[in-house]
Amino acid sequence: MGPLTFNDIISTEWNYVIALLIGLAFGYILEASGFSSSRKLVGVFYGYDFVVIRVFMTAVSVAMITLLYLDYLGFLDFSLLYVVPTYLTPQIVGSIIMGLGFLMGGFCPGTSLTAVAIGKIDGIVFTGGIWLGILGFSEAYPYIEDFNNSGYMGNITIMDQFDINPYTFAFGFAVVAVIAFTAASMIRRKVKEIQY
Amino acid sequence: MEFDNKQLRHVYWNPYFGGLMLGLLIAATFYVTGRGVGATGGTKATVVSTVDLIAHEHAEGQEFFSKYVDEDKNPMKNWLVFETLGILIGAFLSGSIKGRVNFRIQHSPKITAKRRLVFALAGGLLFGVGSQFARGCTSGAALSGSTVLSLAGFITMIGIFGTAYVFAYFFRKLWI
Amino acid sequence: MQKRYIFLALLFLVMASGLLFLPDMEKKTQIEPSALLNDIHSNNRRLSTDEIAKRIIDGDPILFLVDVRTEAEFNNYSLPGAVNIPLQDLLNEDWTGYVDQDILDIIFYGNDDILSEQAWVLCKQLGYQNLYVLDGGLNQWFATIMLPEKPGELASNEEFDLFSFRTGASIFFGSGTTEIAVKAKPKKEKKTIPVRKKVKAEAEGGC
Repeated sequence: MGPLTFNDIISTEWNYVIALLIGLAFGYILEASGFSSSRKLVGVFYGYDFVVIRVFMTAVSVAMITLLYLDYLGFLDFSLLYVVPTYLTPQIVGSIIMGLGFLMGGFCPGTSLTAVAIGKIDGIVFTGGIWLGILGFSEAYPYIEDFNNSGYMGNITIMDQFDINPYTFAFGFAVVAVIAFTAASMIRRKVKEIQY
Repeated sequence: MEFDNKQLRHVYWNPYFGGLMLGLLIAATFYVTGRGVGATGGTKATVVSTVDLIAHEHAEGQEFFSKYVDEDKNPMKNWLVFETLGILIGAFLSGSIKGRVNFRIQHSPKITAKRRLVFALAGGLLFGVGSQFARGCTSGAALSGSTVLSLAGFITMIGIFGTAYVFAYFFRKLWI
Repeated sequence: MQKRYIFLALLFLVMASGLLFLPDMEKKTQIEPSALLNDIHSNNRRLSTDEIAKRIIDGDPILFLVDVRTEAEFNNYSLPGAVNIPLQDLLNEDWTGYVDQDILDIIFYGNDDILSEQAWVLCKQLGYQNLYVLDGGLNQWFATIMLPEKPGELASNEEFDLFSFRTGASIFFGSGTTEIAVKAKPKKEKKTIPVRKKVKAEAEGGC
């Protein structure tokens, strides 16, 4: 009955080893899909390479559907899984900042790590930037603390907020994903070829 | 995109296959540990450790750090730190198998390498700040968060990609 | 558009749509019937009135008395510090936090054993823990604590000790002499119980 570490099916000492292995697979998959290339990542915004949408939406829907099936079959307790807490205003502001950062830097933290691993200097600089950004945030923390903690709505899910059946949502998400892929392919054919 | 060259072979996986693998990995991560993946947590732990090393009293006084700086708790002994290490190793494995490992700066031919680095730094700074506000980045919040249908995951996902689409026009010189 | 992508997309959608048509499966985590039978037979759940009286007098912090009778009966008389959860409301969500936890000892009681035993079996089957039953219910409570029987001349020392304990207890609980009804202390004092919802805090996470 999952999650496995909760019911002591796997002890917590293994947790760190598992973390390493998961990271290993994560890094491998990301790099092999081409996410270590900043120009490939930004392609989604300019229409010349949609790898981000394809991988991302596939990953989220596959994972969502798998977990829901596991939950239904009794192998997993969905309600025990970690839900990111919602802080409405800071998260909206934060994601806008991150969107700009993505555009400028061409990476996101996970992919920048893969770039570091294969020796890309812009990736290393980007990761250094993240480091400095966190440092700056921490130094300014006393001033922004109140804002940072505003808009707290708890660890809520879409089901809690909008009262949608998770199965319906998962199916809807899959449909949206397929539509997005088709649109991506169509746009891809129209946009001029770019060598990178 | 296939780019076959005598020296470097840039053959990437089919994106749907990559997505499938990634999705199964995320599901497995949740099944085994009850949490998703994350990318900024490891960096944050390094920041905390460094500040702690250099200015210990400051670290204890500051609210941001005091949670992590403890007599017996090492901030580096953190799930995310090990996971980050794994990412580095895994990506290196993948890159070296395909011959993609060497030091270079990847940039659009229309800008200089230096300009690219400046913007990379700026982008990193923004991401560092933004990820702290949002309690996650694309991997932690958007990817893992959306998988368990958390509201924050979708807010972050739509926020990041939406903003980037809106402002893409202004930065086009950097990329195309 | 290549044919295999169309095929894959359709396959994907079929898998996703499967979720929509799943029949509702009641996933109640219930304990094994044989285990339940063992527990029923073991009688460990029965706590004597003396023991409960002692624990109330001592102010045992983990004692949690649940009166499973109707509200009217509860208001008429009940044990000090007890909470009224009528049997038919036992599965009500409001009460789950009180009965499904592992800090306090939950002791069901009614006028006799019937309702309390039913409550016990019900909760035991749902996997709740620390469940007990007041042996004999309030009837036994009156017979032993409130109106203790004076032992005969030839009774043992222990029986005399028990009798004096019970007499003291009955004074403590304010029954006085023959009045059975109602010296009831105000039952409105709700015990503040740490109601722990399903512990989500187990999962750490974040970026």
